[in-house]
Amino acid sequence: MKIIKFILLALFLIFALFPLYWIILTSFKPVNELYTFPIQYWTKSPSLYGYRKLFEFVNFKRYFLNSVIVSVLASFISTFFAMLTGYILSRKEFKGKYALILFLFFSQMIPSYLIMVPQYIMFSELKLIDKLISIIIVYSGIGAAFSTIMARGFFDRIPKSIEEAALIDGCNEFQTLFKITIPLMLPGLSAVMSFSFVNNWNELFTAVIFLNTSNKFTVPVGLYSIISKAGIQWNVLAAGIVIALLPTILVFAIAQKYIIAGLTQGSLKD
Amino acid sequence: MKNKSFILIMILPTLILISFIILYPTISGVLLSFKNYSLFNFGNIKWIGFENYNEIFSDIFYIDVIWNTIKWIFFSVFFQLILGFILALLMKEPFKGRGIYAGLVFYPWAVSGFAIGLIWSWLLNGQFGVINDILMKFGIIKKSINFLSDPSIALYSVILVNIWYGIPFFAIMILAALQSIPNSLYEAAEIDGAGYFTKLIKITIPYIKPTLINTVLLRIIWVMNFPDIIYGMTRGGPAGSTEILSVKMINTVFYESNYSLAAAHGVIIVLILLIYTIMYLKLTSKKEFNI
Repeated sequence: MKIIKFILLALFLIFALFPLYWIILTSFKPVNELYTFPIQYWTKSPSLYGYRKLFEFVNFKRYFLNSVIVSVLASFISTFFAMLTGYILSRKEFKGKYALILFLFFSQMIPSYLIMVPQYIMFSELKLIDKLISIIIVYSGIGAAFSTIMARGFFDRIPKSIEEAALIDGCNEFQTLFKITIPLMLPGLSAVMSFSFVNNWNELFTAVIFLNTSNKFTVPVGLYSIISKAGIQWNVLAAGIVIALLPTILVFAIAQKYIIAGLTQGSLKD
Repeated sequence: MKNKSFILIMILPTLILISFIILYPTISGVLLSFKNYSLFNFGNIKWIGFENYNEIFSDIFYIDVIWNTIKWIFFSVFFQLILGFILALLMKEPFKGRGIYAGLVFYPWAVSGFAIGLIWSWLLNGQFGVINDILMKFGIIKKSINFLSDPSIALYSVILVNIWYGIPFFAIMILAALQSIPNSLYEAAEIDGAGYFTKLIKITIPYIKPTLINTVLLRIIWVMNFPDIIYGMTRGGPAGSTEILSVKMINTVFYESNYSLAAAHGVIIVLILLIYTIMYLKLTSKKEFNI
């Protein structure tokens, strides 16, 4: 039994990791090894050609910087708003609370690509198209719905009694929230923020229609534009994919414990 | 400060933001679907009633797209669930390095679907793809398969990748549920002499049933609305064989620039999802979805 379990665990791991291995390997292959037979499972002469080309041929540094700005700002904004609302949903009873929760739930069910055209029209009337601020606002709004639900789940796990003690000591509700509860919530909030960072970093379709000029592209739009160009070599594209993966995998590795806790306990309660 | 105004101050920013970014565009998207708003028609935008919907339903290929969508959802979610469940069961008992193992085996979940699609389109390449090479080395196939350029198998290729991508999500959800099962239940069953599979069917599955129901509900919605992988691999081709509803809609925006027609596609998708959600909740006899 133990052996079978070990073999199965190993198979799942190979199945998960092999594509990652292959794309990293491809990104370091020199051009003459890319399209040869027999296929090379290792490279004898690792080359940085793919990465060099990526930064010469396309403006990948700019895309990366844009993605960092957009993802960090948008996830910060949505997490901040979600923190305020999630706190209320966890602690207070009020008229319309159930309606608000339903509203949040259904707004996260509306897929973002369905509303991107109306959003596009709206933002072009505001003269904000082809500006990073437009997708920062859109990502913040899309993220806020889910983040609120997730934040509420984290607040539920902090005992109310701690706040009651602070209120008796004469703190008002804002002070209690910012001085007592939020410091306790930091792991939870970092999970909420990491989760929306990953989503923002990966978003493609809204960014493709909102951003037109190359120096405004985010990383996914950059990759999209690369594959549209004829004659792109696979080691260059692989290098782009590897760079695109790095931040989310890093964030996921650091915050995975909390993200998973937030996903399973915040959004889906049985 | 009054309780009421405190509550209002705290929820208002989120409410305004979501109304502006999601609610208002949803409503205007529905209205858009009854107009003739397209790139070639900016000067003369008017109300055209159900014309967009007529165009969609009179398209003889639309039935293929629906059929593709059903296959895409069914096979993807079915195998994601089964394999995710098995992975969760394997990870239930603590073992050395489980944390690191979880990080490695769950990472696909943090990667963009579009990038996943690109990676797999390289792996599955008919000429230089490593999957073909491996299958031939093991003697499973004799000559290489055109996974993505053969219309009769392209859909199953993108489904395979979607299964790969979705296993971690199910495993994460199910693993969390498994760990909430009190050990005393298993101990009592062991005293009665129950074996592994008896325990699985009599204790584990009934106990985590609510999680399974909720997760499947959410996943079906999510998988239906997930054009990213297909976009990285085939963009709906070859010959429309991997076109599902959401991909069809994106293509209507990107290639035809017919925004009203795209909005009509979107409205149909949301209506299908709405009917599905109501039916699903009725069938699983849950009075309301627990959020």
